[in-house]
Amino acid sequence: MDIYILGQQLLNGLILGSIYGLIAIGYTMVYGIIGMINFAHGDIYMISAYLTAILLSLIFSLGITSLPVVLLLTLFFAMAITGTYGWAIERVAYRPLRGSTRLAPLISAIGMSLVLQSYVQISQGARNQGVPILIKGVLRLGGEEQFVQITYIQILIVIASFIGMAALTYIILRTSLGRQCRATQQDRKMAAILGINTNRIISTVFVIGSSMAALAGVLVTLNYGSFDFYIGFVIGIKAFTAAVLGGIGSLPGAMLGGIVLGMAEGLFSGFVSSDYKDVFAFGLLVLVLVFRPSGLLGKPEIEKV
Amino acid sequence: MPIQQKTSLRKALLDGFWSGILALIIFGPISGLVLKGYEVQNELMRPLLIALSVAVGRFLISYLIQTTKGRYYLGKLVGKRDAGVTVASLTKSKYQHLLIPVLVLAGLSVPLLLGKYWLTVVILALIYVLLGLGLNIVVGLAGMLDLGYVAFYAVGAYTLAMGAQYFELGFWTMLPVAAIGAAMFGAMLGFPVLRMHGDYLAIVTLGFGEIIRLVLNNMLEITGGPNGASAPSPTLFGLEFTRRAKQGGIPFHEYFDIAYSPSYKYIFIYLILFVVVCLMILFVTRLKQMPMGRAWEALREDEIACRSLGINHVTVKLSAFMMGAMVGGIAGVFFATYQGFINPSSFTFFESALILAIVVLGGLGSTVGVIVAALVLTILPEALRDFAEYRVLLFGIAMVLMMVWKPRGLIRIKRKAYELGEPTA
Amino acid sequence: MMKRSSWKSLLLTIVIGVLAMAGTANAADTIKIGVAGPHTGGYAAFGEQFWRGAEQACKDINAAGGIDGKMIEVVKADDACEPKQAVSVANRLMDVDNVQAVAGHYCSSSTIPASEIYADADILVMTPGSTNPKVTERQMKGVFRMCGRDDQQGAVAANFIINTLKAKRVAVIHDKDSYGQGLADAMIDKMKALGVTEVLYEGLTRGEKDFNSLVTKVKSVKADALFFGGLHTEAGPLVRQLREQGITAAFISGDAINSADFVTAAGGPQYVDGVYMTFGQDPLTLKTGRDVIEKFRADGYEPEGYTLYAYATVQALTAAMDATNSTNLDKMADWLHGNSVNTVLGEKSWDSKGDLKVSDFVMYQWDAKGKFRQL
Repeated sequence: MDIYILGQQLLNGLILGSIYGLIAIGYTMVYGIIGMINFAHGDIYMISAYLTAILLSLIFSLGITSLPVVLLLTLFFAMAITGTYGWAIERVAYRPLRGSTRLAPLISAIGMSLVLQSYVQISQGARNQGVPILIKGVLRLGGEEQFVQITYIQILIVIASFIGMAALTYIILRTSLGRQCRATQQDRKMAAILGINTNRIISTVFVIGSSMAALAGVLVTLNYGSFDFYIGFVIGIKAFTAAVLGGIGSLPGAMLGGIVLGMAEGLFSGFVSSDYKDVFAFGLLVLVLVFRPSGLLGKPEIEKV
Repeated sequence: MPIQQKTSLRKALLDGFWSGILALIIFGPISGLVLKGYEVQNELMRPLLIALSVAVGRFLISYLIQTTKGRYYLGKLVGKRDAGVTVASLTKSKYQHLLIPVLVLAGLSVPLLLGKYWLTVVILALIYVLLGLGLNIVVGLAGMLDLGYVAFYAVGAYTLAMGAQYFELGFWTMLPVAAIGAAMFGAMLGFPVLRMHGDYLAIVTLGFGEIIRLVLNNMLEITGGPNGASAPSPTLFGLEFTRRAKQGGIPFHEYFDIAYSPSYKYIFIYLILFVVVCLMILFVTRLKQMPMGRAWEALREDEIACRSLGINHVTVKLSAFMMGAMVGGIAGVFFATYQGFINPSSFTFFESALILAIVVLGGLGSTVGVIVAALVLTILPEALRDFAEYRVLLFGIAMVLMMVWKPRGLIRIKRKAYELGEPTA
Repeated sequence: MMKRSSWKSLLLTIVIGVLAMAGTANAADTIKIGVAGPHTGGYAAFGEQFWRGAEQACKDINAAGGIDGKMIEVVKADDACEPKQAVSVANRLMDVDNVQAVAGHYCSSSTIPASEIYADADILVMTPGSTNPKVTERQMKGVFRMCGRDDQQGAVAANFIINTLKAKRVAVIHDKDSYGQGLADAMIDKMKALGVTEVLYEGLTRGEKDFNSLVTKVKSVKADALFFGGLHTEAGPLVRQLREQGITAAFISGDAINSADFVTAAGGPQYVDGVYMTFGQDPLTLKTGRDVIEKFRADGYEPEGYTLYAYATVQALTAAMDATNSTNLDKMADWLHGNSVNTVLGEKSWDSKGDLKVSDFVMYQWDAKGKFRQL
């Protein structure tokens, strides 16, 4: 087999996996704290893609052209605004349901996802939108005909996903906020009794999760260059799958799950059949969960009597 | 709580102000700056208006909640948070025994009252009632979150279409075949997932649902792939309800020598479907009181306790999966025959989510609730058609609001009451 | 057993039903034409094109005096490209809106089940955009189309790839949808008849953006031409990733990439440079089309994709109504089979199946400015 093709396919899988992982982190954070599948997460990602294009055009019209400045400003504002989205959605659609059945917020989230999609469709139109190419350049290894390549923006995605995961893991494990999060996760009532403002902690987690979606949204939009109001759906399901594969609730798990899923899809579609790549990905998920019912890195559920 | 609380206008104003600012941040960029190529077009009036209405709304709520009357009305809107189990009262109300015959008669007379369009909407609603009843067994009674229920629906629908295409079998033969086929399928899918709990189960079933759809889509030679397959209409002892006979029978209107109307087919489907739904309601209600149904509910409440009391959790879970799948398969057959054509795009994850929404909104385990929720969630999008592109937006908002209004579903489930010493019904 | 809350909910259902039924009034002296297409969901962009075209046609025809003094009215119907909603909305058009003809349905999988309903109600339907052969292959008298068929289009593309480009190693990718896969299969059939077998045949998933693995696979089979059956939403990222990975193979696709959005989806005109596509005769080169296009542009709308097809469909339907002085399916169908209509897309006539007699697919090429021209 051609070593360059194999290398390129591995790299394709890694990049796709990093994207999945980056979005899966948001899923897993929210799940970790209130045990709820936030189906609107994919649509937050979609919103951030639109924000990227809007912010870029605003920043360019202000005459700012220095690449790092543009990138940082876009990232900052996109993350701040989607963070607000996350906060507001939690406040409006999920908080009133706290304390009812576990499935109620799930349905509310599905409704919210519809709302976000059609809100964007109505305000921005159903057409495809795009962003100009911001980061050019490509790293090639090999000769003229045969090479393995990765573009700079793809490198940025891989790095950002690992940094994002590491930073959040640090926050959860080492900081006071993280301790409060874990306390809230284990026993919300007890945490509240001990003086933790659990509502605020949950809101904070939604804000962080949503801004992670924005981080992914900005970088991925710059990578593919185009988006529409429907992109959140497919990638949302994939990222959720990645989060479960890695063990939902675990941050390194989300990253690992993303990369495993991305690699599986990439290699299968590259060497076997692209038609059945999703069948293979979901089949792999089933297989992993049959043998490890709590995912790759998830803690096994303790069955209490 | 102080009896007389001073109403603070200042607080309400501040609340309103901050909500307006937040709304501006949220709605500003997306609805205010419309992308045109790589440029944006200024539409900032829109978010300003939205933000203003949010601010005013928040101010009013904030102000009203400080007054006793306001609290009372708002409390009514938000819904109660009471948890726990309620038990039905033993004494039946006077009109109880009249209720069911009246409802059945009303149901049978629906085709006389409605035009063809609304009749088809009601047929679709009844199909969703069936789906809701089926998923209710798995999610509501047995407590297993199934996000891929659409798989069984697809199996039922494709069984009818494939049976007609390859074996020239009609609706009546395929109905039981599809039911059994889907149940077998349920057992097959159920087996590997028995060890899983909660959301891991959910994602695996979601995966199965997607796999089924993708396989149906990819097997072009057998299923027709994205081009779909046609499904036969039901016949009445060989009489067909189409304008011209397609399955080698005689058209209904020619046999009775009456004018043709496209509604006949739908009236006929509606009547069969109505009978099937009634039977299914009866079946599910009886099932709930049988040992099997009680085992499901017990397992939902506490699996470990059940196993220690000697309940075989494998058979109990599998039976729930199979029963649910069977009902889904039957619904699939009706869907295919109603539509006359199926392709994989009818069986997406969104469909599973919609059925789940019916079950949760109905109140997890409540049969009446499922029926009401299915009617609401299928008729609502059709009723909203006059709002054109705002339809989906309003539907989504309605879904969120209904959940916030009734977090435990439209109908709270009630345990049946029993009296000691008397023979129970 | 039922508590008050359950009654309330039942009441809610009934109220919704009644409200919805009350909202439908009937105007007498207008002829209504249903315009069905996706207005929500992932294909909503095409529904908008349909609607814009049909609306403009309606305006222009009414300005010219309508049909025998009767005004026409277009009724918007949303099927979201789901067969389920297509059936519902078809019944609604027949039963509630009482339309006299239908211009519509974009997805073939919506047109097929919906056309059964129209046939049952004796209503003629003409689709501006469903190119799947099966639509007209079912021997239904009242089903016409304003667009070409996938097999005609595929043949044009295959001829071009083999005879003009002289490609030897052709990779074929489709989007697993009836349009895309149908087109790809038709292209392959013709190509095999010309003696070339494809080196790669794969499907991608609609709604995804990352096709890098597929692109690397194209590279590994050393294809010199890539045919894509699908929409611009996937064609854009695909061609971009192809060029980013340094593959110079010719990129050929069908009429569904004919949209300025293709350039946006690719992320810039430099990526679509050199892309070939099959499409009908450019309406801009026709005298009849130019005025209409100017009207659209005056409204600040670029009539792209299926806009003019929808316009022409409404023209053809009203022409048939005008000539036969009726809205009867048989009369209209007979007339359309026997006569030709001068539309915005030129002179159109139909064969006994309801397909266009002359399919005028020609090759176009995109340039580095993001525009295309006929070859």
